[in-house]
Amino acid sequence: MPSAKELVTKFSDLKTLPHVALRLTRLVNDERSTMQDFEEIIKLDPVLVTRLLRLVNSPYFGLINKVESIPKAVVYVGMKNLRNLVAVEALRNLFRGGEAENGFSRKNLWVHSATVAIVAEMIAKRIFGQEGEDVFLAGIIHDVGLIIEDQLAGEALRRACGVYDPSKNTLVGCEQEIIGCDHSEVGTLLAKDWRLPPEVIKAIRHHHDREKKYPLTSITSILQLAEYIAGKLNYSPIVGRFDPLPPHLVRHVRSMMANYKVIMRDLPGEMAKAKDLYDPNA
Amino acid sequence: MIPTDFDNVFADLVDGVEDLRGLLQTLRRRLPHAWLELHGDDGVVVTEPAGGSPLAAEAATIAGLLEQALAGNELVAAQGRGGEWFYAVPLAKAEAVLVAALPGRQGNLLVEPHGRDLLLSAVDYALLDQEQQLLVIENQQVYRQINVHKQQYSALIEDNFRQYRLIQEKEKEYARKLESEIARQTAELRSTNARLEKASRLQNEFLANMSHELRTPMNAIIGFSELLSETDLDPDQSEYAKTIKEAAGNLLVLINDILDLAKIEAGKVELDSEPFALRELVEGVASLFRLPAAAKKVAFMVEIEEGLPALLVGDGNRLRQILINLVGNAMKFTDRGRVAIIVQAGRCCGEQVEVIFSVRDTGIGIAADRQQAIFDKFTQADGSTTRKYGGTGLGLAICSQLVKLMGGDIRVESVEGEGSSFIFSIPMASRRPLPLAPAAEAASVEADAPVGGVGALRILLVEDNPVNQRLASIIVSKQGCELAVASDGLEALAQLRAHPFDLVLMDVQMPNMDGLEATRKIREIEASPAGRAEYAGLRDRQRPLVIVGLTAHARKEDEQACYGVGMNGFLSKPIVKDRLVAFLREEAERLASSSS
Repeated sequence: MPSAKELVTKFSDLKTLPHVALRLTRLVNDERSTMQDFEEIIKLDPVLVTRLLRLVNSPYFGLINKVESIPKAVVYVGMKNLRNLVAVEALRNLFRGGEAENGFSRKNLWVHSATVAIVAEMIAKRIFGQEGEDVFLAGIIHDVGLIIEDQLAGEALRRACGVYDPSKNTLVGCEQEIIGCDHSEVGTLLAKDWRLPPEVIKAIRHHHDREKKYPLTSITSILQLAEYIAGKLNYSPIVGRFDPLPPHLVRHVRSMMANYKVIMRDLPGEMAKAKDLYDPNA
Repeated sequence: MIPTDFDNVFADLVDGVEDLRGLLQTLRRRLPHAWLELHGDDGVVVTEPAGGSPLAAEAATIAGLLEQALAGNELVAAQGRGGEWFYAVPLAKAEAVLVAALPGRQGNLLVEPHGRDLLLSAVDYALLDQEQQLLVIENQQVYRQINVHKQQYSALIEDNFRQYRLIQEKEKEYARKLESEIARQTAELRSTNARLEKASRLQNEFLANMSHELRTPMNAIIGFSELLSETDLDPDQSEYAKTIKEAAGNLLVLINDILDLAKIEAGKVELDSEPFALRELVEGVASLFRLPAAAKKVAFMVEIEEGLPALLVGDGNRLRQILINLVGNAMKFTDRGRVAIIVQAGRCCGEQVEVIFSVRDTGIGIAADRQQAIFDKFTQADGSTTRKYGGTGLGLAICSQLVKLMGGDIRVESVEGEGSSFIFSIPMASRRPLPLAPAAEAASVEADAPVGGVGALRILLVEDNPVNQRLASIIVSKQGCELAVASDGLEALAQLRAHPFDLVLMDVQMPNMDGLEATRKIREIEASPAGRAEYAGLRDRQRPLVIVGLTAHARKEDEQACYGVGMNGFLSKPIVKDRLVAFLREEAERLASSSS
């Protein structure tokens, strides 16, 4: 049975993620980086430049002026948002293809990831009054471990999905048993490789952890809330099955019910605005 | 897309009771003294205030009311067993029915004129309160989002500023690097320039020295071989002396050519820009070759196009040099037929006229594949040429360089065995001829007059080289002049202090005090009456002492230096006997005419 590390190493060797995307996500953490550096790297992938500018000008950002260059995009939406878009573009291709079986399909997983990202961003901003960029990134990338498992241990993953029953066991438990590692472990290693922010890495690591109480405002908790909501909306990685919400988060939601209801009311509109981001056919 | 239900996401988390209880509390705030019950569509019932409600005892009445309410009635009332009235209002949005009793109140409220309205308004208000709570929450969320955006924008602005600073820093750094790079390159260029300047100066000095060093011994060889051939010699010796003289002459030509070319290539040649008479110049060149041509039985012709201006502005001397060279070549390689100099006008533009010179011969010609190379240095039409015809191979290179220097170009047209034409064109300014001055006529008359002897001139020769001293003294004394010799400028001044002289032959390059310095001194002394009194040679003179420079430096700047310090004439070494004699004769005549 392969370890998470072996999977990530093998996966990186496949070079399925564009090198440019890796360099850009690393660049954003560097305090000495400028829009010039950003442009210099992204210029290497002209297709990515076009797609990025299209997304920057999509309703999701609601910019008044049209942005026609990468430096201008950096000025208007900031490097963190551009990093998110680069991740979106890199992952979108990764979530293509593959067969649907035992409730798992890459396409589902992609819509799930996008929904979680959008809901998580809404919760962060509307309930906790926090910036939503890192939360969005955590949402879009939190299940990337499943894709890696699907590529390198596809059959085992399908079996794990088949055994998974939220009333008896957990998805990560099934993965550990059948594959030998789980997608939060694998995703964490990849995120570390990408040099993503520590908070994001932590959230990917613990998004299925129901034992420990994470602070309400942590990305981990927000991710768990968003995952639950996405599951309820039938956007779960394994259709129709998802882990229940940890008890302290249940209490939180009940105490803020009206707030969450407002979010649910506005969610369809927000998802429509972000359609360009998650549309698997874009 | 998968079907989704945005409304019931939290159904699992919240039991219906809680929702109803919230609503009931809101209703209670509007109707604080009423007994209230909410009957959910799913059968859940919540009561306010809890416990002891009279409603509990009236289940049958209430069931009847609920039935009516669910049937679509807006507000219904019924009297209970205890005589109290109960009312029911269906709340469609909450999926429940409100049942209320108003303790302390007798009679049916609904039969009173405004009773129904009041009750319904109270319920509506309560429902509006509920909605308002939602609006407040929405508002809070909007407010939080605005705050997040504010924070994000200030973070964005800060980050943009950070980048701006970084980019600015980078640009400054780049500018600094550029500046230091420019400074470095400038320094490098400066030092290279200095080095080149020094090299150029050294080359200049070398040229000057070579010129001197080469001509000085030539001076002796030519001079003495000439003197030797004038002594009593037997035929063999006479032949030897003649050979030496000829060989030395050839060598001098070669040395002059090499120095000339070196000067041209070093960019040291400055062209004159003086008016000269074109026809005179060409005829002058032709006259040099008419006799040799007649001797070889080769026809010699000169054709000058009528339309050409008589006076042109340019370097006549250099033009003459080119023509002599080309005609010399033509003569050398032509044994029968003819040699011709043809001058034509080319394009004309205002004062500017392009003059085309052709030198044509019917000589041996040049093979087509050699025609380009002949303008290169040390190249002749073929290797055997040197053996058969002599020459240095420098002549055409010099011509080509000079023509280029004058802004023209030179080419050759030739058929082997039939002859060659060298054609060069030079753009020159034309000058309208001045009316002939009477003085010039007088001069030409004088030139034609027979020249007399040199007479007994008193001459001071200032020369450090003993060989040259002897050579000059032999030439001078043969003309019957008195000669004193000084070996440098200081000695010359000493001589002048003691004796009067008519003429000083002054070498330029000498130890202790050179000729230029000595001349300057002499002119100074002449200028001050006190100084003049001390010098016997200068004291009684009516006009300045005639000083003639002698120098192996045949360069233009040397000549200028001589005139610059006040010399009256200039002879370049090696001393050509005829020229020195001519000079002496001229001086003697002037002396005779001024004294008569």
